[in-house]
Amino acid sequence: MTQDRFTGVGLGLRRPHLEQVACMDHHGVPFWETCPENVVGDGGRQHRLACAILDRDPVLTHGLTISVGGFDAWDEDYLRDLGDFLIRTGTPWHSEHLCFTSVDANCLHELLPLPFTREAVRHTIKRARDLQSRLPVPLLLENITYYAELGAAEMDEADFITAVLEGAEVGWLLDVNNVYVNALNFGFDPKEWLARMPLDRVVQLHIAGHKKFGGLTVDTHGAEVIDPVIDLMQWTLARLGRPVPVLLERDNHIPDFDILLAERLRLQRAYDAALAAVEVRHD
Amino acid sequence: MTETRTLHLQRAMASLVLDADEAALEADPGRAARRHGLSGADQRAFREQGEAMLTYRELARMSLIEPLEEMFPVLKALLESEERWDPCVQAFLDARLIRSGHYRDIAPTFLGWLATTGWGQERWPFLLELAHAEILEVLVARFPEADPPEGLHAEPGPGDLVVLAPATQIVSYSHAVHSVTEDAPVPEVRPTHLIAFRNGDGEARLMELTPATAALLVQAQSRPLGDAATALTIPDLAPVLDLLNDLRRDGAIAGFQTPT
Repeated sequence: MTQDRFTGVGLGLRRPHLEQVACMDHHGVPFWETCPENVVGDGGRQHRLACAILDRDPVLTHGLTISVGGFDAWDEDYLRDLGDFLIRTGTPWHSEHLCFTSVDANCLHELLPLPFTREAVRHTIKRARDLQSRLPVPLLLENITYYAELGAAEMDEADFITAVLEGAEVGWLLDVNNVYVNALNFGFDPKEWLARMPLDRVVQLHIAGHKKFGGLTVDTHGAEVIDPVIDLMQWTLARLGRPVPVLLERDNHIPDFDILLAERLRLQRAYDAALAAVEVRHD
Repeated sequence: MTETRTLHLQRAMASLVLDADEAALEADPGRAARRHGLSGADQRAFREQGEAMLTYRELARMSLIEPLEEMFPVLKALLESEERWDPCVQAFLDARLIRSGHYRDIAPTFLGWLATTGWGQERWPFLLELAHAEILEVLVARFPEADPPEGLHAEPGPGDLVVLAPATQIVSYSHAVHSVTEDAPVPEVRPTHLIAFRNGDGEARLMELTPATAALLVQAQSRPLGDAATALTIPDLAPVLDLLNDLRRDGAIAGFQTPT
């Protein structure tokens, strides 16, 4: 599923950087990730700049509020616009979160955890398959950070994710920071957790920063990526043995673009080193 | 829709996030599960993970309330001065109106709720105008891109209709709500007419209009310019045509149309 032009470490396209990025012919970012909800149906200067960049550079798309595990009917108008947008950007796939975001037509604008139950697995598989049938490109699902299990669980998170990915026959957007944060909050070894997972389904990685609030670590996307998470990314790439694209997420406390470029470069070097080690192992 | 345990669990989570009774939820996070008829095991899961469940309440409410705080700073300052901001936000959340998956739609939805319910407007008659003025430039700045109307010409004549650009808004307030600040959030009573539009670079611009110009711009969209000027007892059309030319060059007016 991975296409050759999508390798290396990309960045999320964010409004504070649009003016600067639009003027740069050689920014060195191999691809951008954009949230269609923030572009579709928008207008004005920032929108025009975003579209100019998305029309110029390689793009992956990542949805926020479609509520794959929810019960609300799809917004057919939005799905039509989304499909047009995915085709326009040329994205090879579209990712959504394995969660619910709306209930009884009320959008909560938060990635909320699905119950780890057999019923929720069946429901989410059905919804993901239905959503896939309405999209012009393959659907990926991303593992989220969760802070509590919703209701009494019948299985653990790893089994839940595996059952949904395999039942829906979709690819996996593996967020290594989410695995790390969940490991901190629930007290497990992230590498042992990953070793149990269907890594053959991984198409893309996410990486980000997080922060501790009281007894809980929260996936803030508002800080630099720490070394143990970079190590987990490298471990995962080595285990995969192939160059899937990695996306650095930064949505809060967004630094100047130059600082973000420097962080991207640091991650790119780690990425290259991990893949070089894979090649040496195979030689 | 089949009523399933998964759906009831999701509804319980929505209650936990949106409901008003924070103290009761803190004392017993299981009450959200109980309200939705969930089993003892599910209620226990809510209770035993109380701190984490309340973190979800905090995170989700922050997501929903932040755009209101960012878009309506003067309204917030006004209401906070009488400890009414939090009740206002809670009343809005209670209405369960946030339907759109576009984050940018939360603030306009709040404005629509203020208009529909009249919340706070007995105490502050200018409240809706204030909220509208605070968000006006953003509404114009982010108005969805649209193809320009066709069949227009650039030079206005007395027999023409005015066709505004799709993003342009002409508004009239009873109060000078465009000149308030967080430190002085109460506007003076003064009829105020504004035109908000996007310039050629796609950036929002705001300009105060005289009452006659505002009326002309509204009327001349449906009757010829010359007729509108006569009805408004504007004696000389030449300066009006100059202004209309300027507004077209600036991007507020899409062009002029000969009535069919």
